[in-house]
Amino acid sequence: MATVDEPTRRDIEAFVYLEARLADESRYDEWEALVTDDMHYWVPFGPGDYEPGTRVSYINDNRARLGTRIRQLATGVHHAQDPPSSMRRVVSNIEILSAGGEEFEVGSNFVLYEHAVQATGHLRLWAGRTTHRLRRTADGLRMAGKKVELVNSTSPLPNLPFII
Amino acid sequence: MAPTVQSSAASNDYRYLVQDDRIHGSLYTDPRVFADEMERIFTDGWVFVGHESEVPEIGDWVSRRLGTEPVLMVRNRDGAISVVANRCAHRGTTLCPQNDGNNRNFRCAYHGWTYDLDGTLLGVPGPKGFHKDSADLGLDRPGQVDDYRGFVFANRSGTAGPLSDHLGAGGTDLIDRTSNMSPTGRVRLSAGWIGQRIDSNWKMWPESDHDGYHLNFTHASMARAVPDTYYDEIVMTGEEASESATRAYDGGHLELDFRRSYTAELAWLGTTREKVADYCEALEGSYGPEKAKTIMWDGPPHALVFPNLFLAEMNIARIEPVSPGVTVHRHTPLLVEGTDESVNRRLVLQSEAAMGPASFFLTDDAVIAERMHRAFEGAAVGDDGWVDLSRGLEREQSADGQRWSDITDETTNRGFWHHYREVMASVAGDRHNGV
Repeated sequence: MATVDEPTRRDIEAFVYLEARLADESRYDEWEALVTDDMHYWVPFGPGDYEPGTRVSYINDNRARLGTRIRQLATGVHHAQDPPSSMRRVVSNIEILSAGGEEFEVGSNFVLYEHAVQATGHLRLWAGRTTHRLRRTADGLRMAGKKVELVNSTSPLPNLPFII
Repeated sequence: MAPTVQSSAASNDYRYLVQDDRIHGSLYTDPRVFADEMERIFTDGWVFVGHESEVPEIGDWVSRRLGTEPVLMVRNRDGAISVVANRCAHRGTTLCPQNDGNNRNFRCAYHGWTYDLDGTLLGVPGPKGFHKDSADLGLDRPGQVDDYRGFVFANRSGTAGPLSDHLGAGGTDLIDRTSNMSPTGRVRLSAGWIGQRIDSNWKMWPESDHDGYHLNFTHASMARAVPDTYYDEIVMTGEEASESATRAYDGGHLELDFRRSYTAELAWLGTTREKVADYCEALEGSYGPEKAKTIMWDGPPHALVFPNLFLAEMNIARIEPVSPGVTVHRHTPLLVEGTDESVNRRLVLQSEAAMGPASFFLTDDAVIAERMHRAFEGAAVGDDGWVDLSRGLEREQSADGQRWSDITDETTNRGFWHHYREVMASVAGDRHNGV
């Protein structure tokens, strides 16, 4: 666990909440503006304790593939998010796991309720732990990594076409 | 028009429900149909279980389903593969609740009955109170287990005849072409399986996975987001402009055959020879330059081995029926041997883009299937609720145990359903006293 000054802690927490709200509201242009050029977005199968690419993951996006994901969401004909899911997530247990130079590793837990309106109308529940890698830049904090370890990732999952 | 509801007997009249150019939507939603399928397709027929490379060491096991029947595929002490019920022969407790593992033996958590890797009962606690012959109380086993090039299949009833008859020339060729993508001729499924849960009937997946007509619409978002995927040249060029073909082989095996559409070697891998030189050289070293060239140009098949094995180009997928309205579609990257690991890293990345609940393709297919399933939930046998599958019926050709037509034609759908009709309408023979 790292100790940071209070203004830094407040900035980090505000960033995590903003990132969650933009994802909830499918505001992908604004969400994408939060990421760095070396962003890695990863949803592993099981605990994220393996090197991505050595075994198959749900999502293992470098910056280019993340760009494709967001472009697909913006086409207006991505049936899996047409219309977009109605979502709200609760983010808690925010801890600054490490702080070195201009980078911070931040852990948090989340519970996400998704109304899958595209076909079934089911209320889907997602839960897990997020590890953000945040970097202080001239434009403020930006996200260089987001790892989402779902509590039930070893069981079959329904569609996950949105940013979790 | 109000449906003309017929008697319950008619709901299982498969020669009526599956016609040459249409099928009835109740086949997706009627629980009685699902029950018949679990018996006639998944018990009396051959079902894909897994690949021997998934259990390389003695005691390795993976958890699978034959239809809805839970089984373990196990590497035995003698090196052979066993398929045994994942259910204690005593009171029926699930033996291994996890996806995979390695055991010296299987011990039930309830009363401690212990089984060898091949399912033989080794011992029970308090044996003096137990007078049956333990040889009669091993784990349930399918009547037949066999493999072709490491692809393991099981037939619970034991009455399905040899696996080679089930595969036929079509299925055999498809598995050969898949296996030959590896320079050693042996593929490796060791990167793990991702499962996608879809609230639709399982039969929408053999159909959707082998539908050459839907790409411009279902996958329009992918075409717009990435305009230069290889799917553009093989299927998105439109009717009759594409050289690709849709094929249905005897036995219900299907293929979207892209071979003649590729305009460059390794197009199916989205790369060029320089990037995967070691792999190309390994193929040439193993197969000789001519056959290696064919492999590099043709790529892997996109095909179904009836009923549940999807040879998904450089992925292997399993279609797992859970209930009439729930299916699990699982996939793993098809890894190769005899070359450096860089090509396998590439294959994992390609797999993550194409398959699974967060991929660029199957997410849209899933929503379409879920919408389709909901549209048939009220389907009763009658004038309403038919599915039209007539596209290309007048122009498809047939010879030598296969039918083929334009890539956009429903030859694959008809091939699946017409085989389904033969299987479902046949009277079940004597059932093996197996699983």
